[in-house]
Amino acid sequence: MKTLLIKNAYVIDPIQKISGETMDIAVRDGKIVDDVKNPDQVIDATGMLTLPGGIDSHTHICGTKVNFGRYMSPEDMRAGRTSRKGDMHATSGYSVPTTYGNSYRYSRMGYTTLLEGAMAPMEARHTHEEFRYTPLQDCLANTLFDGNWFALEAIRDGDIKRLAGIIAWYLSAAKGFGVKLTNPGGTEAWGFGDDVTCINEPIPHFGITPRDIIVNMIEANEMLNLPHSVHLHCNNLGKPGNYMCTLDTYNAIPDLNDKRQSLYSTHVQFHSYGGSSWNDFCSKAEDIARSVNDKPQITIDTGQVMFGKTTTMTADGPMEFNLYRLYHNKWSNHDVELETGSGIIPVHYRKKNLVNAIMWSIGLELGLLVDSPWQCILATDNPNGAPFVKYPEVMALLMSKNYRDAEFETLHKSTGKRVILPSLDRELTWDEIVTMTRSAQARALGLIEYGKGHLSEGAEADIALYPINVDTTDPARDYERIINGFSTTEYTIKRGEVVCRNGTCTMESNHSTYWVNPHVPPAYDMGTDAAFIDGFNKYYSMRITNYPVGEEYIGRNVCMESEASL
Amino acid sequence: MMKVILEVKERHKPTLPIEAECITPKNFLDPERVFHVWKGNKELDITEVFHVRKDGNAKSADQVEIIIRGDSSNIKRVGEYMDGGRILIEGSIGMHCGNFMSAGTIEIKGDADSWLGREMHGGTILCHGNVEDYAGSGYRGEKKGMTGGRIEIMGNAGDFAAETMAGGEMIIHGNAGDMPGIDIKDGSLTIMGDCSRPCGNMSGGKCWIFGTAYDMLPTFRNEGQTSVDSVPVTRFSGDYISRGLGMVYTANHKYME
Repeated sequence: MKTLLIKNAYVIDPIQKISGETMDIAVRDGKIVDDVKNPDQVIDATGMLTLPGGIDSHTHICGTKVNFGRYMSPEDMRAGRTSRKGDMHATSGYSVPTTYGNSYRYSRMGYTTLLEGAMAPMEARHTHEEFRYTPLQDCLANTLFDGNWFALEAIRDGDIKRLAGIIAWYLSAAKGFGVKLTNPGGTEAWGFGDDVTCINEPIPHFGITPRDIIVNMIEANEMLNLPHSVHLHCNNLGKPGNYMCTLDTYNAIPDLNDKRQSLYSTHVQFHSYGGSSWNDFCSKAEDIARSVNDKPQITIDTGQVMFGKTTTMTADGPMEFNLYRLYHNKWSNHDVELETGSGIIPVHYRKKNLVNAIMWSIGLELGLLVDSPWQCILATDNPNGAPFVKYPEVMALLMSKNYRDAEFETLHKSTGKRVILPSLDRELTWDEIVTMTRSAQARALGLIEYGKGHLSEGAEADIALYPINVDTTDPARDYERIINGFSTTEYTIKRGEVVCRNGTCTMESNHSTYWVNPHVPPAYDMGTDAAFIDGFNKYYSMRITNYPVGEEYIGRNVCMESEASL
Repeated sequence: MMKVILEVKERHKPTLPIEAECITPKNFLDPERVFHVWKGNKELDITEVFHVRKDGNAKSADQVEIIIRGDSSNIKRVGEYMDGGRILIEGSIGMHCGNFMSAGTIEIKGDADSWLGREMHGGTILCHGNVEDYAGSGYRGEKKGMTGGRIEIMGNAGDFAAETMAGGEMIIHGNAGDMPGIDIKDGSLTIMGDCSRPCGNMSGGKCWIFGTAYDMLPTFRNEGQTSVDSVPVTRFSGDYISRGLGMVYTANHKYME
């Protein structure tokens, strides 16, 4: 029966349409309530920007791929070490830190919910084990279906209901949250030593196209009434001229849901490239943003690139192979039987590299050109574009034209000819930045009704108090204050308890794993489907009974039930 | 001139390593400075491990000479970030001697443990005995090993000498172990004795082997005979698994059976 009262908080909460009101927030037992009498703890939040806890809707923090990034980058582990202090464990790593490192650094920035962007269902145990040691955030995991053989067979046979049944079985077996497609078809083609060029080319063996995969998956996803939409990493990531493919993909997306988008398109910066080679490489953010502005069924995240060293990791195996041929540095390539693959490469984004400078500009252009912040989420695809600790800098860049111009001056001299960033005068408002860092995520992930991303009565008491006085701070000029303010909260509150105070974390958090359990009619229950079980036992190297992740792996958790309309 | 004599005390457990990255000439310029070394997770005052004697005065690091006596074979990280002056080690020295050094001289009368002159940028290291593995290399995961300076080894070197070397010069008067010069990018490596599998994935730089290169890698192209200081050698270009911009000269070579 713990109670907490936050007094005189300056609140911005776009979901409740609160735009800068001074109010008190009362918390009882981890939930926000109307009022508390004789609170156990009172926080005076005068002059502090008070927001719902941050949500990262696309990050890579837990799982086999992340762990392999740690494993192959001992130099990265040396790059960010902190020693044990009070309740805090020692941490190491900069772009791929240890789980505690991720958790502390996110908490320090006021983030309380994280979505792991890509979990291979077969390797889900590892992800869930790492979730348990990410103590200060609730975690969710998008589950990979881009090369799932049973799903691809169902698509080939044109049986969407069976596809929905397969998705339902895998999601509840892997304790996953959403459907992730990474280079749909492409990673499977890579298994045959091939890749796809865009969405209309059939993939080997199955003869279906990436377009078939994307559209059918979206339909199946909506049949299952899942909280989140299909989460898509488009084909052709990182290739000059790929914007045409991205636009083609967007044009194929049906609008099937009134509450949220039907497609979450992730790290779009990597998919907005013009030109025909690296020599005439340029930004096509304008075309992409126009398409997004026309299509309420699409939400994107920017996938901002920031300069410095980082590690790229994705289930897009062929793309990482192309990067390897570019850099000749170390490379990992991995195949997950019957499901997907992955690749990892360390990179260093440099200001004086023209391609990198253009990438940096494209991310910002997307943030500024997409009209509605509800459709454009701030993310770096951590750690692919940059480690998440750079988020405050991204916020400041979006809020200040001065800062953008000052940074632009330091880039490769030819950047101005390839991008339109210098001509964009828009400076995002406080409300827009708040939307892009929590509210839009909560809506896109369908978490509003689970009490995330807002501060209404009954919501989870995940609250971030930043030492920023909105009335006296002009973001356009005081961008340093924005960066410092968003880097370290005064208080981060998770489920009603202060878990981080001025950058020092405590371990007392009862975090949860969120997962979905879609209920399907018995005819589509793959757990009793003879053909599925036969195929499974024939082709997988493990038995179907050993496959599902047991409850013992996930600790405290919230099961999100959904009723399928099949 | 300043002369600092550090004599290792009789230790109860001499095999326990001591980390002594504070031992560099420039640190002794500050008379107020307190010196700490580490034994495991315990921080000790330097006088618990060494008898310290300091004579004379110095204005710059170049005027400081440090002499290490006694059983120093488990004292690690001596001369880390050294930027001038001289360190003389009368016995053997532990791992990571001369890490990141940029100038000055280290002379080792005995043997040196692994990672001698790791990622050094300049200066000179002379070892009269043998060295263990990874002399002049980059540490785990690092892309560049030594980028400048000179390491001369009068005895034998262990495996992976000059791994990821990116500049500077290394001379091994005895034999080198397996895979010397692996991933070498620039600089020069001279081995007077034998070695095996030299310069795998070489992308630049030069390597001379005046003994026998055993298990010569098949990804090098034989460019014919030439001579170096009137010694007849075979010239190889490679490694073609990378870009093939390096050169290896061997007096004798043998391919794997």
